[in-house]
Amino acid sequence: MTKPKVAFFDFASCEGDQLQIANLEEKLLELLEHVEVVSFREVMKEHSDDYDIAFIEGSCTREADEARLKKIRSNAKIVVAIGACATIAGINALKNTRPLDQVRKEVYGDNAKWYETYAARPIDAVITVDFKLHGCPIRGDEFLALCKALLTGQKFVVPDYPVCAECKLAENVCVFEKGMTCVGPVTRAGCGACCVTQGAVCWGCRGLVDDPNKNAHKEVLDKYGLKAEEVMNKFNLYFAYQGGPK
Amino acid sequence: MNAKILTKENLLSFVQNLIKTGEVVGVTKKDGKFAFDHLKRASDLVLDYDVTLLPPKKYVMPQRETLIKFNVKPEVKVEAVVEATPFTLIGVHPYDLKAINQLDRLFEENHVDTNYMKRREQATIIAVTPTRASKWSFWSSMNSIFVETGFDLLLTDIGGRYAVEIGTAHGDELLKKHAKFEEAAPADIEKLESIRSALPKMCSADRKINALTHEMTAILEIHRKSELWEKRAEKCYSCGSCNLICPTCYCFDVKEEIDLNLKDGSRYRVWDGCLLEDFAKIGSGENFREKRADRFRHRFFRKWSYLAAKLTEPACVGCGRCSSVCLPDIADPVKVINELKEEK
Repeated sequence: MTKPKVAFFDFASCEGDQLQIANLEEKLLELLEHVEVVSFREVMKEHSDDYDIAFIEGSCTREADEARLKKIRSNAKIVVAIGACATIAGINALKNTRPLDQVRKEVYGDNAKWYETYAARPIDAVITVDFKLHGCPIRGDEFLALCKALLTGQKFVVPDYPVCAECKLAENVCVFEKGMTCVGPVTRAGCGACCVTQGAVCWGCRGLVDDPNKNAHKEVLDKYGLKAEEVMNKFNLYFAYQGGPK
Repeated sequence: MNAKILTKENLLSFVQNLIKTGEVVGVTKKDGKFAFDHLKRASDLVLDYDVTLLPPKKYVMPQRETLIKFNVKPEVKVEAVVEATPFTLIGVHPYDLKAINQLDRLFEENHVDTNYMKRREQATIIAVTPTRASKWSFWSSMNSIFVETGFDLLLTDIGGRYAVEIGTAHGDELLKKHAKFEEAAPADIEKLESIRSALPKMCSADRKINALTHEMTAILEIHRKSELWEKRAEKCYSCGSCNLICPTCYCFDVKEEIDLNLKDGSRYRVWDGCLLEDFAKIGSGENFREKRADRFRHRFFRKWSYLAAKLTEPACVGCGRCSSVCLPDIADPVKVINELKEEK
């Protein structure tokens, strides 16, 4: 069997998800027994447009990105969106909550007119995406799990329950009991509640679960003393594209 | 009543001796609360805790447990795996022990669960009488204060010294081998009895279910169609927190994983929870409990009706963990059952 050819692409992002993959080191070498990487600018110079699987990092933030995305889609048999910017528009979508002209002027100053921009969107708002690897950044082991599923023809399963479940399994004290708040109760798990385990809170980087109880969570945040604006900020950091409570 | 007496010092050296001779798990401090963890030193052990984050169930039914190992290349080979090595569990409260006793029955009946039973056989359990109750606990209402079986030794703080009741020959042997103890004097037994008789009042007065355990089952049955289920479930996150911290929840999912060499792999089981949206979803995509309210109600019926029929008592021990972890505050059995009782 010939090895499937794999290529990596990036749009508006920090390329941190590809860095997670590069950081797999020995495991990446083991994966290369089964796949051929034809394009991956973080680790190699070569590039080819002949590939089977395209991993795309980053959000689509301007019309010009669309043509490039469509070309990748037509070249690849399988397209995978990797990282929050690609799966849910990530923190790029924060700008969608404000007038775009103003945002552009803040970033580019006098040169604003030279830089095209539109509301940030996830990759599947432009092209069909076959799989999503969530997170900011993605988890190396979840990337490998998807690769193994594709190579063996198994179903790739992404958790569809809130981070709270994994927080309980990690035996964490709930951040709400420690005088903090988080959006774990509406955020898709799969991260092992790593941020809370490390003493922080859940910011929602894996996006909302399929059926999030946003209104219940808004009520809980109200009850724990957050002002309306603070509640919206909580929801907007990662869910600006997906939408907050009504 | 018969008991031995350990001074605090002698208890510490007893525990330290156990640590020297094998794996010991005990209650330790964690982030302002308490958790069962591997015990490095006897001095890390906390016996005057209120409740642990997760119940000690995690040692008899691990969160992830390998069931088989397999190879698919060059030829298909399958090998059953039982992961069980001896360990001692120190500091188990009676309600959590009652839960383990229930699990023992459930995993043994009909088709014996080999992995569970083999592991359980390896456990030495040193229980401890609570000195305080968490503000959510309602074990008095669930008859979970006193356990007759399941422990090898039962410790009770009788004021600076510990009374030790012996539950099994193994416990007796351990004590004789590793501890310096005295026989209890009549005054010690009197103290132990007075501590025991005060236990039913340890849970706070507002943490009482206004029904006997068998009446609770009847209350649920009568109110199966109550609006309460729908109303409370409107606020449910479907996060499964109430399942995952529960000492009697024992549902699991079975999964398989292949190594990166695409040749070797394993089948393992992990904890599952009936409040999670995909819990009752099957291969065809059909979900038997698609609605939040169906899942929310199911947990109560499972504990107070379906399992109660098998166990002749509800599969709830009143630890209060589900009540304490539920952010929207809908999962509390005390409020749910008392509210249902008030309904016409």
